[in-house]
Amino acid sequence: MALANEMEVEAFAQCLTECADAIHERIKAAIKNREIERDQAQSMFQEESLLRQRANGLYIDAANSVVAGLTEPQDALLAAIDNANDRIQQIKEIAGFIDLVTDLAVLAAAVSAAKPAPILAALKEVKEDVDAVNSQHS
Amino acid sequence: MHAKLGVWALLLTLTLTGCANLKEVREYAGESAKFSAYTELTERFRDTYYREQPYLTGEAERLAQVNDIKRKAAYDDLLTIHQRVALYMQTLARLSGEDTFDLSGNLDSLAGGIKEHPDLGIDKQQVDAIADLANVVTRWATASQQQRAVREMIKAGDAPLQTTLQGMKRLVRYYRASHENEKRTVLGFFEVELPYVEDPEHRLLATLARAHLQAKEAEYQAVQPQYEAAAQGIERIAEGHRKLLENIDDLTSQAVRDSIKRFAKDIKAIRKDIQSIEG
Repeated sequence: MALANEMEVEAFAQCLTECADAIHERIKAAIKNREIERDQAQSMFQEESLLRQRANGLYIDAANSVVAGLTEPQDALLAAIDNANDRIQQIKEIAGFIDLVTDLAVLAAAVSAAKPAPILAALKEVKEDVDAVNSQHS
Repeated sequence: MHAKLGVWALLLTLTLTGCANLKEVREYAGESAKFSAYTELTERFRDTYYREQPYLTGEAERLAQVNDIKRKAAYDDLLTIHQRVALYMQTLARLSGEDTFDLSGNLDSLAGGIKEHPDLGIDKQQVDAIADLANVVTRWATASQQQRAVREMIKAGDAPLQTTLQGMKRLVRYYRASHENEKRTVLGFFEVELPYVEDPEHRLLATLARAHLQAKEAEYQAVQPQYEAAAQGIERIAEGHRKLLENIDDLTSQAVRDSIKRFAKDIKAIRKDIQSIEG
């Protein structure tokens, strides 16, 4: 419905523009043949400009109608963008998990070697990784 | 020995298939994003009154003011359309980006992290071997993840994108029609007024007016091709995305990549053209 409306508005604007063009040709011819005085030419030109302003007003209406018709597609585009960003975020989370796995492996090795200092250091790393993974959710 | 060869063959296969090969999609989306961010004509539309005001009087001037308010009110919404398409394309470019789904940095730090602790009795060579294997497998897994994500985005995005691009094309048509009326108002003013100042008494005035008219004619002539170029660029973006959708399961084949590459090149060329007109 919006599209039909835009088309009609555009067609009407086009019509007014052609009218203005015709007036302009008429003024030019009249000036050339010395048929009209300056003030007459000026007032005819004002009429012509008025038609052009009316046409341009209609083009604004048609543009607004396009904008209104794009509300839904714009929302759908945004949904596709958000979805893609979620996918990128998921990969970042996996990256966070790999860091976690690294430090868990070190922790496991430290535990099996039964060395207290590396165990504490590894635990600290693991905690940081877990925090990092969690923070990506917030 | 044979087992080892087999492993290497497997690794090689995984490495090759592990490359998502979305370079052309990325280029197309990147160029489309840059093109959609081009708002010169929308700004020109907004500023119509500023340029035409000196040539208007009476009722036409009053109506022009009303139009000015309406255009300025519409401007933000018009800009949002550019921004939304640009954001969509930027996101598609990022999603198909080389590094977006690349986890090799994390895996390297995995190997490095473990090797930092020789005192724990972990064999360096083993760590390297496991890290290499993890690298290949992950790249293979993430590449297919990436392809799936890109396909999903193109499928979900195509319909709203096509509608939006068609809307943008209509807008360009209205901008152009509006620009025509502005041009004929400004240039028409001189056609009406100049014949009345042709006598020697008004030579200075007529000369100044003619010089000014020359400048205005040059200005309008320079802007004119931009409308055509903008419409062409939007059309190429739409065709490119349609092509992506049509070949959604075949995005990495050479023929599809070649044709997507052409779209990226065209869109870039049109944008460069517009910029050279401006400059």
